[in-house]
Amino acid sequence: MVELKNVSVTYNTGVDALNNVSLKINDGEFAFVVGSSGAGKSTLIKLILKEIDATSGVVMVNGYNLSRLKKKKIPELRRTIGFVFQNFRLIPTMTVYENVAFVLRVIDAPRKYIRKRVPYVISLVGLQDKSNAYPNELSGGEQQRVAIARALVNDPQLIIADEPTGNIDPELSYEIVELLKGINDCGTTILMVTHEHDLVRHFGGRIININSGSIVFDEVIGGANDEA
Amino acid sequence: MMKLSGIRYLVNQGVENVWKNRMMAFASFCVLLVSILLVGISVLFYVNINSIIGGIESKNEIVVFLDKDITKEETDDVEAKLKQMDNINSVEFYSREEAYDSMQQSMEEYAEVFKSLGDDNPLIDSFRVSIKDITKISETISLIDELDHIFKIRAPLDFVNILTEMRKIVTVIATAIIIALAIVSMVIISNTTKASVFARRNEISIMKYVGATNAFIRVPFFVEGMITGIIAGGFATIITWLGYDAVVDLLTNEVNILNIIGVGSIISFDSIAWKVTGTYILSGALVGAIGSVISTRKHLNV
Repeated sequence: MVELKNVSVTYNTGVDALNNVSLKINDGEFAFVVGSSGAGKSTLIKLILKEIDATSGVVMVNGYNLSRLKKKKIPELRRTIGFVFQNFRLIPTMTVYENVAFVLRVIDAPRKYIRKRVPYVISLVGLQDKSNAYPNELSGGEQQRVAIARALVNDPQLIIADEPTGNIDPELSYEIVELLKGINDCGTTILMVTHEHDLVRHFGGRIININSGSIVFDEVIGGANDEA
Repeated sequence: MMKLSGIRYLVNQGVENVWKNRMMAFASFCVLLVSILLVGISVLFYVNINSIIGGIESKNEIVVFLDKDITKEETDDVEAKLKQMDNINSVEFYSREEAYDSMQQSMEEYAEVFKSLGDDNPLIDSFRVSIKDITKISETISLIDELDHIFKIRAPLDFVNILTEMRKIVTVIATAIIIALAIVSMVIISNTTKASVFARRNEISIMKYVGATNAFIRVPFFVEGMITGIIAGGFATIITWLGYDAVVDLLTNEVNILNIIGVGSIISFDSIAWKVTGTYILSGALVGAIGSVISTRKHLNV
């Protein structure tokens, strides 16, 4: 669960990135965050990951009060969040399997569990045949699916996808969002930042529109495929 | 607390990283190698100069001449008192007869003169005294002077002063050079590892995002830096060993200077091989590991 109460963020440069924002995303929700660049979307993500702190207000993420969270506890928070980057950010010297297994190693999971869990998650994103391939041998869509497997592997309560379709072919974008929807159906909260309005219109659901540091629209709309 | 399997994984990662990032590892290796060699050779050079000066010093002794009419008991008494002094290493009695014999031998062309003297030995008994700390020679001389039955003390004071001054200057210069080299090396090493870490900032940032602790991120870099440093230390040992022996060979066989100042003053590599190897490898490991870890710090604040 993500909850912001009257949150403002002012950067050292004097820029007001977020302005008295209140927002609540419940467990199991799927929400699109849209808005033009510079509107405050990245600031919102950075807040949730505690890369930055709110200048004022309260940020609660998965039961952690971030303004009271000690620096040493940040890794603990981040282990409850899966993150998907626009540019995939896979480690080029590791195979698909290693890239995914890596997350479990970071949290010191038992080796037996790693051997069972990693192939399972890789098969969930449909890449079981590419387990031993390196990222540069994969297409953009496949790389993003590896990234999603990586975000999913430690069974986080929340997955944040930051423009996950920004660097891949439009027709493959739908596949990616379908995949995220499927994960959401299993109970994981998903927060997807995008500025591709076609996608949002197609899938529908909760749309949060940020503009100039304020939420200007936050409603559930029906998607095009709902009508079909 | 991290499990043993986790630590093993991290160490393996560090070992693998050396190979995966072999270009950067090679750069770090070269820098470490050159740095260890520069500092190491400077230290060895200094230690040898010091040992040579020490060798020259040890050859210098104070000659204490005794009164001409001294009795056997009085002589023994002086010897005992000399031996009790702190700064005195050894005391050797040199009788007037011995002195006379060696004088005759070294001046054979004057045999006639000696013959005319007959049994009348004009020389006097003396003690050859070697000193522990040559810088305190003046104090020791004045102490000896206070004893009874001392006729005269002869000491190479000027020479000692020159040597003491030389040693001071060599120490200052060597220390300055070694410190400068060490600093330059550290700067270059930290820049090289910084480049190596920068090349992997992506990896580090991903680790941060998936909730890796700082310790977890650092261990592989630590291991990697340490391995690179150990290999560099090993190579530096081999190069130093070969180079050192070659130089010593050259000095002993080709250059006669050493025969004058005494070859014994040059330290043989065999006698310091373990010290050199240990110091090289240890400092390589230490500098490599610390250099890597310091360089990761900046990238950990995500």
